[in-house]
Amino acid sequence: MQHKFSANHKMSDLINENHSLLLVISRFGVHLGFGNKTVYEVCETNGIDCTTFLAVVNFLSEEAFEVDNAYENISINTVVDYLKNAHTYFLDFKLPAIRNKLIEAVNQPEQNLPYGLIFMKFFDEYVVEVQKHMYYENSTVFKYAKQLAKGQIDTKYSIAIFRKRHNEIDSKLEDLKNILIKYYPDKGSNHLLTEVLFDILSCEIDIMSHNKVEDYFFIPAIEAIERKLKAAK
Amino acid sequence: MENELLKIAIAETSVIIRSGITVALKRITGFRIQPFEITSNESLNSYLRTHNPDILIINPSFWGYYDISKLKTETQQPSLKCLALLHSAIDESLLKGYNDTISIYDSVEQLNEKLEKLISSPSNENSDENNTLSIREKEIITCVIKGLTNKEIAKELFLSSHTVISHRRNIAKKLEIHSTAGLTIYAIVNKLVEIDEIKKNMLI
Repeated sequence: MQHKFSANHKMSDLINENHSLLLVISRFGVHLGFGNKTVYEVCETNGIDCTTFLAVVNFLSEEAFEVDNAYENISINTVVDYLKNAHTYFLDFKLPAIRNKLIEAVNQPEQNLPYGLIFMKFFDEYVVEVQKHMYYENSTVFKYAKQLAKGQIDTKYSIAIFRKRHNEIDSKLEDLKNILIKYYPDKGSNHLLTEVLFDILSCEIDIMSHNKVEDYFFIPAIEAIERKLKAAK
Repeated sequence: MENELLKIAIAETSVIIRSGITVALKRITGFRIQPFEITSNESLNSYLRTHNPDILIINPSFWGYYDISKLKTETQQPSLKCLALLHSAIDESLLKGYNDTISIYDSVEQLNEKLEKLISSPSNENSDENNTLSIREKEIITCVIKGLTNKEIAKELFLSSHTVISHRRNIAKKLEIHSTAGLTIYAIVNKLVEIDEIKKNMLI
């Protein structure tokens, strides 16, 4: 099937076409400032597997995707590194940034209400959930996947275990979103509040598409290797 | 529930019709729809088996005529809702096992109605009621954020545990807040409880 982006596209066109791909590009370890280089050239310079890069980019930019079985040429190591980088981005950068903005936005010292503290406590509980979720993936699932990529099959684990327990982690974030949109007593113009809400909304979408890559791209690719290795035995 | 995530698989060989349906589905408001386009027989089987979609929209002549009930059994999806996608008039007997049909000439409104009909369950019947909390529900929220269990709340308010659970479900639905921590914030910013009361219990 003809996909949206190919190796001959300019890397800069990807971002102009769909700006959320900026996050994807950076998680693959590509640095900005690539001039007019094509996707192929940029991948080459940065030592990234171009096929895998394009597969993820196309997977995320096509409205819907077709379930096909072309996982043969995907580099599992590249996918795992990409997913791990996304975890680092959420845990070390995005969530702390939202936390700071949130506390600043809701603090109302003049009314002597410790909203900052209350929201902070809530947010920290949410972050602990995300940490647990991502830590399990980093330490168990990705380790298993990398072994598998080397052709070693661990009989004690299988990706089906992960598929069953891969739960959604956005329910608390959704609560927070609804509280701010529907119930927060906003006093006058509060750009900080709008700003943090905007961040929460884009983070929600970002986490959703990250989970989509795990569920519908990564898991099927691992299953394909499992099947192949078992058949070879 | 509002904005519930709906996974919809679209099995149709024509790329133009398939993507047309995807775009039309995106124009429906009130649902978060995650469409998946499926182009081959094997993909359909493996997709249904692994991803538990809510709804399957399928051209009845997709890769030969499907026996829908057999497909549901084989892929272990007994509760899958199936919509037949019709390009033209078709023999009724081929539509056995489908929940409903959609025509390629249906409007977005018609699609919306059909989806709503398909996923509405008895618990959604009273969703037209207004979303303000009753006094009882407010009492329950106050108990919840004090950290009482359902059993303890039942005892305190002289209700059955079952009633408490059903109240809690309604609260979550009305407010669209599902966690206890979320309810706590709601109660504080809306002054259902005094901040000092919370401080005692939460050790802030």
